[in-house]
Amino acid sequence: MNPQFSNKPVKIDIGDGAAIPLKKDSGLFNAWWLTFFGAIGIIIYLCVTKPDPYWRILQFLPDGILVTFQVTILSILLSLVIGLFTGLGRLSRNKVINLIASTYVEVIRGIPLLVQLFYIYYALGRLELFKGLPPMTAAVVAMSICYGAYMGEVFRAGIDSIDKGQAEAARSLGFTRAQTMIYVILPQAWRTILPPVGNEFIALLKDSSLVSILAVSDLLRRGREFASESFLYFETYTMVALVYLVITLFLSKGVSKMEQRLNYYERD
Amino acid sequence: MRTRIALVLLALFLMAGNALAKDVVFAVDATYPPMEMINADKDIVGFGPEVVMAMGKAGGFNPILKNTAWDGIFAGLAAGKYDAIASSVSITEERKQNMDFSDPYFEVKQGVIVPKGSAIASVADLAGKTVASQMGTTGYFVCKKIEGATAKSYDEIGLAVEDLYNGRIDAVIADDTVASNYALQHEQYSQKLTLAFLIAPESPEYLGFAVNKGNQEIIDLLNSALAAIKANGEYDKIYAKWFGSR
Repeated sequence: MNPQFSNKPVKIDIGDGAAIPLKKDSGLFNAWWLTFFGAIGIIIYLCVTKPDPYWRILQFLPDGILVTFQVTILSILLSLVIGLFTGLGRLSRNKVINLIASTYVEVIRGIPLLVQLFYIYYALGRLELFKGLPPMTAAVVAMSICYGAYMGEVFRAGIDSIDKGQAEAARSLGFTRAQTMIYVILPQAWRTILPPVGNEFIALLKDSSLVSILAVSDLLRRGREFASESFLYFETYTMVALVYLVITLFLSKGVSKMEQRLNYYERD
Repeated sequence: MRTRIALVLLALFLMAGNALAKDVVFAVDATYPPMEMINADKDIVGFGPEVVMAMGKAGGFNPILKNTAWDGIFAGLAAGKYDAIASSVSITEERKQNMDFSDPYFEVKQGVIVPKGSAIASVADLAGKTVASQMGTTGYFVCKKIEGATAKSYDEIGLAVEDLYNGRIDAVIADDTVASNYALQHEQYSQKLTLAFLIAPESPEYLGFAVNKGNQEIIDLLNSALAAIKANGEYDKIYAKWFGSR
């Protein structure tokens, strides 16, 4: 291989969050500020100038927003656990464990989330074991199983990124393989893992709108219910879109702040 | 020259076609057996579609059925994607403010499906229970009005019945024809589910064909066709085929 090329790795970084500019080039009018405050401004403007129907729609949504957050937060926590084990499994020297983890990732990544949701909720709902599983639980389980696979890849990459010397040093100090992982590798890998996890969190929040097909009353479903009775399709979906936008942008900012703090030692 | 002749012929042909039979596009949400559904050949069949086809024959128009998801079926009408909705749309005061209706073509009541052996026997028994129906249907409006009950909306009535079958909810409310089709006739569901009772409406509930407000031309066309098939016995024949002597 030509060393000239191998030494210059090209990294294409596509996040699912908003495009947050770096601190050094943040002007007053960048896209994030414009979109975030633009969306809030439009919501306020619509509610003040046309309280009927916009204020009425906004009042109809809060419990849906709550459900969206519940699904998102529970799913992200569960998928972190699944992701950790999947990531470790993918790096395992045990061939069986490795194969199980890799197969899980392949299967899940090959099936659209919408199909997975239908499958876990309606297809597995026919099995005696899953009968009576509440919609909320089914939704969280489905989202976690799906995102666990993606999270597993994040963990694998994060653990992989830690220099081999670290493990070798720990091992020569008498740490077992498990101890090395828990006390030496994982604490360092977190710094690499957390930012993409934040991105996944935002992606998951957006994808959580899919659970509305399971009759889980999330933000989108509340909007659809309102529209189907009032026939105010334009007004309702405008409001729903704006609310999602505000939430996602707000969280993106949080993720980027977290990223900045984690990169403390790498600041230029 | 030859293309020009062909074009003229084509134009003449199209005009003649228009004069012979006007196309009327109907939106149908074919997830509502036995009223509207898809058969194994992917054709839209059911009581509603048969009535519409008979009306086309009697009224001299050419019905085209367009399968459309219920969620958004009214938005599509307003956007001019079709001329009318023939999808068991109940005529309600709220809907009348947004669209016009043809004469009624069917009367429904709301039927309550429960698991066999359930203690639910009246509306009062539904308090504290989770009651579900299809989003934006009169069945769902009834669910929301039941005191003390949690109303749950589904995209399709079939998904609500499936969840009842799987024990996630306590009852499903739907048009009586649809409810009895699932609870009494469906091979699998009828083993575990049953039609508990019908809810008496405050005023009779009728199904009509919905059209955009002020589209009198289509309304007149549909009304005269409906009157024609009621007069020539065709309507009764279709009714008997699907519902016997209900």
